[in-house]
Amino acid sequence: MRRHFSRPAFFEGIRDVTPVLIGIVPFGMVCGIGALAAGVSPVAALAMSAIMFSGAAQIVASQLLAAGAPLMVIILSCLVVGLRFLVYSAAMAPYLRPLDHRWRNLLSFVLTDQAFAGTIQRFRDSDDLPANASYFLGGGLLLWTVWQVATLAGILVGQVIPPSWQLEFVVPLTFIAVLAPLLRDRVALLVAVVAGIAAIVLDDMPMRLSMICAGLIGISAGVVVDTVRGQHE
Amino acid sequence: MSKETTIWLVIVAVGAINYVARLSFIALFARRDIPPLLGRALKHVPAAMLTALVIPMLVVPGSLATAPSVNPRIVAAIVAAVIAFVTRGTLGSIGAGMGTLWLLRWVAG
Repeated sequence: MRRHFSRPAFFEGIRDVTPVLIGIVPFGMVCGIGALAAGVSPVAALAMSAIMFSGAAQIVASQLLAAGAPLMVIILSCLVVGLRFLVYSAAMAPYLRPLDHRWRNLLSFVLTDQAFAGTIQRFRDSDDLPANASYFLGGGLLLWTVWQVATLAGILVGQVIPPSWQLEFVVPLTFIAVLAPLLRDRVALLVAVVAGIAAIVLDDMPMRLSMICAGLIGISAGVVVDTVRGQHE
Repeated sequence: MSKETTIWLVIVAVGAINYVARLSFIALFARRDIPPLLGRALKHVPAAMLTALVIPMLVVPGSLATAPSVNPRIVAAIVAAVIAFVTRGTLGSIGAGMGTLWLLRWVAG
């Protein structure tokens, strides 16, 4: 484990992830506030951040719990939201495979939208594996730690923040910051448009099943377009 | 089942699911190639799922059926998206999005 550790790269990872915190801190606070509003104890709200470690899944779980959705619907919705991690895992896999299993197990735990979006370019640019792994670990651990502190802050001071600040709006904004750069690819843009229209049209479905359906419709549209384009080439 | 029991079961189940998903191709399927159709479908997951997550957060539930006025959230989201698209910068995008929302609220009084 120590053999692959590079201290300078670890701190570079911390440095490069720091700007992302402006979105992550309020987002983590919103997760803490939202969990309490859904009727969850402070300890459980903290455990959500420590163990689930996915703002999207935490928000969805809190909303569905507040709406009185059954356990299996909550788990299924979180599972669909978490499909993104399969993609990130697949994209990181070729770079991390040479590492020993302890490194891979640890780095997998801190794999998030922001850690992925912030580090994948470095993995593509450099083949210094120990440095890259340490860089990823530094950024990922910072995100995890700040996520816990932000959730705790939300639990402690959430009630003090005036509703007029509309702090909860940082949740869609953090996802937009990850999503928008993907749309430079024309097929990805089409997938997003189809998923977005489906989300609006299906808005009336109960228990936010519209989110799962809209996502799957968008993915299917992408596969169909790829197939058609493949035949023309 | 109480909410507290439900949420602890969700924490354990989703915590495990998320970790397995994160670990999947990095460790569990490391020696196997991704089936082609699954690989093609997976490629589209981020654009599709992030959009499906974001859209309902911008639209007030039930507001679509009625005549929509200009929604400050949608304007702010578009500003944030354009900045993220052009600069790839998280900081500027989120700052501009919140700033636009606050400005529009202030203008509207």
